[in-house]
Amino acid sequence: MGRYVAKRVVSTLPLIFVISFLIFMFMHLIPGDPARMIAGQDATKEDVAVVREQLGLDKPVLTQYKDYMKGIFSGDMGMSIKNNKTVAETIVPRFGPTILLTLSSITWAALFGIGLGIISAVFRGKPLDYLGMIIAISGISIPGFWLGLEMIQIFSVHLGLLPTAGLDSWRSYILPSLTMGAGIMAVLARFTRSSMLGSLRDDYVRTARAKGQTEGKVIMKHAFKNSSIEIITIIGLQIGGLLSGSVLAETVFSIPGLGRLLVDSINFRDYKVVQALLLFFALEYIIINLVVDVLYGFINPRVRYE
Amino acid sequence: MQKTMINKNITLKPGAEELPKAKNRFVELAKKFSKRKTAVAALIFIIFIILVAIAAPSFVPYDPGASDYFAVLQGPSKAHIWGTDELGQDVFSRLMVGTRLSLSSALIATIVGTAFGVLLGLLAGFYGGIIDSAIMRFCDVMFAFPDILLAIAVVAVIGPGMINVMIAVAVFTVPSFARIIRSATLSVKSQLYIEVARSLGCSNTRILFVHVFPGTIQTMIVNFTMRVGTAILAASSLSFLGFGANVTEPDWGAMLSTGRNYLNTAPHMVLFPGILIFLTVLAFNLLGDGLRDTLDPKLN
Amino acid sequence: MKRKKLVALALVGVMALSLAACGNKEEKSSTKSETKTEGTTAKAEDGYLIKASNQDAKSKDNDLVIAIEGSVSSLDPANIPDTNAISATRGIYDTLVKFNRDLELEGSLAEKWEISDDSLTYTFHLRKDVKFHDGTDFNAQAIVSNYERIIDKENNLRQRRTYIVTNADGSEKNRIESIETPDDYTVVYKLTEAWAPFINRLTQFCVISPKALEEHGNAIMNNPVGTGAFKFQEWEEGDHTTMVKNEDYWGEVPSVDSVTIREVPEAGSRTAMLQTGEADFIYPIPSDQIAAVEGSDDINVHIDDSNIMRYVTLNMNLPELSDVKVRQAMNYAIDKEAYVQVMYNGNAKVATSLVPSIIHGYQEQEAYTYDLEKAKELMKEAGYEDGFKLTLWGDNTSQEIKGMTFVKQQLEQINIDVEVLPMEPATVSDKIYVDKDEAEINMWYVNWSASDFTMDGSLRSLLYSTMVPPTSANTAYYENPEFDALLDDGLHTADESEQKDYYAKAQKMAWEAAPWLFLGNDEVLYSTKSYVSDVYVLPDGAFTFSEAKLAQ
Repeated sequence: MGRYVAKRVVSTLPLIFVISFLIFMFMHLIPGDPARMIAGQDATKEDVAVVREQLGLDKPVLTQYKDYMKGIFSGDMGMSIKNNKTVAETIVPRFGPTILLTLSSITWAALFGIGLGIISAVFRGKPLDYLGMIIAISGISIPGFWLGLEMIQIFSVHLGLLPTAGLDSWRSYILPSLTMGAGIMAVLARFTRSSMLGSLRDDYVRTARAKGQTEGKVIMKHAFKNSSIEIITIIGLQIGGLLSGSVLAETVFSIPGLGRLLVDSINFRDYKVVQALLLFFALEYIIINLVVDVLYGFINPRVRYE
Repeated sequence: MQKTMINKNITLKPGAEELPKAKNRFVELAKKFSKRKTAVAALIFIIFIILVAIAAPSFVPYDPGASDYFAVLQGPSKAHIWGTDELGQDVFSRLMVGTRLSLSSALIATIVGTAFGVLLGLLAGFYGGIIDSAIMRFCDVMFAFPDILLAIAVVAVIGPGMINVMIAVAVFTVPSFARIIRSATLSVKSQLYIEVARSLGCSNTRILFVHVFPGTIQTMIVNFTMRVGTAILAASSLSFLGFGANVTEPDWGAMLSTGRNYLNTAPHMVLFPGILIFLTVLAFNLLGDGLRDTLDPKLN
Repeated sequence: MKRKKLVALALVGVMALSLAACGNKEEKSSTKSETKTEGTTAKAEDGYLIKASNQDAKSKDNDLVIAIEGSVSSLDPANIPDTNAISATRGIYDTLVKFNRDLELEGSLAEKWEISDDSLTYTFHLRKDVKFHDGTDFNAQAIVSNYERIIDKENNLRQRRTYIVTNADGSEKNRIESIETPDDYTVVYKLTEAWAPFINRLTQFCVISPKALEEHGNAIMNNPVGTGAFKFQEWEEGDHTTMVKNEDYWGEVPSVDSVTIREVPEAGSRTAMLQTGEADFIYPIPSDQIAAVEGSDDINVHIDDSNIMRYVTLNMNLPELSDVKVRQAMNYAIDKEAYVQVMYNGNAKVATSLVPSIIHGYQEQEAYTYDLEKAKELMKEAGYEDGFKLTLWGDNTSQEIKGMTFVKQQLEQINIDVEVLPMEPATVSDKIYVDKDEAEINMWYVNWSASDFTMDGSLRSLLYSTMVPPTSANTAYYENPEFDALLDDGLHTADESEQKDYYAKAQKMAWEAAPWLFLGNDEVLYSTKSYVSDVYVLPDGAFTFSEAKLAQ
């Protein structure tokens, strides 16, 4: 196991290099000149040239990349071009909202999704199964921004129950996390159902039944327990997608999180902030993947040799 | 994985027939599928939508590009059953005609993405080793790369329009398919008939495409179906972020995204495209679920 | 109340008539013009488009929350990229002189001022009772240090361009010869040559505490210290800016305890915030959101003139567009009345010159009245009866896309096939600021607002010969030495009527040459809870909240 993890970590390092390089090249190759963005529409060529020089954007791209990587290794991610803050100062305050939102979305989505999945599996082919699956799959079939905006109309404007924007109290989290969690709920419900259908047929579940255990006990203690590790790994993978996928909810609900920062920074061509964010998302994704793979390895020893 | 094997052994026994005839198998599957009522309803809906996509231009009451500037944002009425949009165009006509663009772009993007994804997944799963690692690491890179950035890049290179949405969606189909097909390949590869083929001296290429690939088809069909739904949703999200399809051509995602500005004043503008997208994506998902239930031997 | 009913009545009338008139074009247009007059009279009197029935509503707290569409992208007043940032900094900083609500200049940190007869010497007498938020005294030396900071090339501040002119050979010339302080509370500016907009430009000259400047340098943008009615509290870029009441303000101490400016890009979310009371004031309220707040009893909608000019630039270097007949034909082919109706629900004006009417020196031009026959005739004369293909660039927001689609549909009528290409702003500017022989631009759907309300600020960057890309934004590639000369004369004369004369000629010249499709002028639309008073938006889109009151 230790060797496996070590091997994975070692094979991951070059991956991060490749990703950082790709991101860097991408940002510099797409059109849009941050110097022009800073100097303004009415700035003259000379004004723009001055800004470009100050930002170091007049150097060859490869030199810029070298400088950038040097900075990274000495712990300096550079300055945001938008304000006089470092990239770290720009990004760090945005973590809180996105992480809290992610966690609250995952929590309700997991409870509901797994619940719906179990119900559907137990009542397979019955109306409850259909109903459960339709509810669940609706979550992955509705465009997120539409769902969010409709909920604002209903719960905030008409019923006056919940705030529409910002993150001032726990009530502010309800609508955005409903919006963000809908898709995950669907994925989990679906996965739980099929995994449970498999487990419910396993020999030891049959044995447990034959022994005369109550059906509830059979479902939760035996079948679900067997499916749970797989479900947890799916949840892990979903977290990875959520952090970077919070753009829509953060835009609709005006939340100062990482997703909105990413879009704003891309629009402004704030290269260094974009690079840092993307690198973070990539790292986070890779780490979660690694954990998931290791977990798989635990459950199923064959995976390690393949 | 072991579980699967056990289950397969169990299910094979009562089947008794070692080599069921293809036709019988199809009828059997159709029967099984027809029991899943939501999936049947979904299939009927999808067929209906496809018919609409084909026939729309001939039955819509208005030219989808014709504007009446003095009848903008009107709610549903006799003249415009689903109302008019912000430029006084008929919402019903635009949605119906837009079916073709929205559906075909989702299908094409998914087909292209699936083709590459399946190929990569097969290669990775079948050959293993360095090829596997390389492909899987490539998929990791793809997964870790946010789609908005890719969309911007594509727009930058080839300009805005439907094609960039399709490319962006297709590219993001590749890694997830590669993964799914890789694991399907792994389980097929270890099965007896592959070893038989190998012992008979079949070439690797032959084994891969003639014996292994068919074994992954059911996984592919199921995921393809669901992925079409995702593609429709992704296109509308891209429109929302401003990287959508060609704006002057009618398209569901663009209409929904534009309609959101009128959510509180002309709700029909977002309601009709929203419901249409929702139902279509739901149908593809339910169909996919139904197919999985039908095709997956584990769930007999 | 009465007025709101009137508007509502008019709306019902239009709807009924337009339904009845389905298929009949003439009847439709007559209905529309009726509403227009009705709407204009309703708003002209007091600036209300909708006046809430309940004007006695009470605020639940004394904290003003403003929700805006764009972002506050800097709090360094000398390096301000946009109007929202100007608005936010005006809470924290004061200027020597400022525009009041009627766009008249009045003293702020300067109590009074004199201008010499030759218009070269400006003497300002400063207030003596002013302190910066950090406790240091405001005096003439503060003006000098701020000025020196701005013109220091090393600092690379946007406001430097106000004072420094770059000559054709790359050398620089400062418009200000010297700045002197005869005593602690007098400042004397001497100009190199007569420069009419100087005093207007001073409305953008905010005074930062020299002590804070010394401490923070250009990081002052994150730590603003001024003399204004509010003290800075927090700026979370991309989300909100908060400031609190300055108890020791030299002027009238603010009535509200704090002001928070929230950035809410989604129009629907912004409107919802106003409806739920999470925001007290929103700007802008897009015209298509107005119907949503109409039913509420405690929401006002205000309308006012703006300095925003909407137009489409035509690249005159293209063979098809080099012919003035074609450009005029295109202008005739566009129904401007329909444009303001469809785009702004009628809450905008048809463009009547190259600049909106509130720009100093504005002169109404002879309209390109919508006339398809004439347009087709001109196209025929130019030899383009069968039309041609063009691309139209613009930003990728829904509103811009709608406008571009409108232009496309209109030009189709004279066989011009327009491909609409919405792009991100960064991509647009990247494609525009290229060397002349690499220019791919055909048409650009764009807008311009001159925050100093001068003709020079409105036209120089857009139509002056040397301002073609990549130097600046003359994307029509309009190069006319006569026009340039008129703009130069206007800039250098101190005589107002003479200046008006130059500018009138310049407008007529460019209007007839039609380097643009002249579309419309926005109106400023903003909405407030009825318990809010004295928060308003100036025609340049800057909002003012220093005197805000929330009824308790």
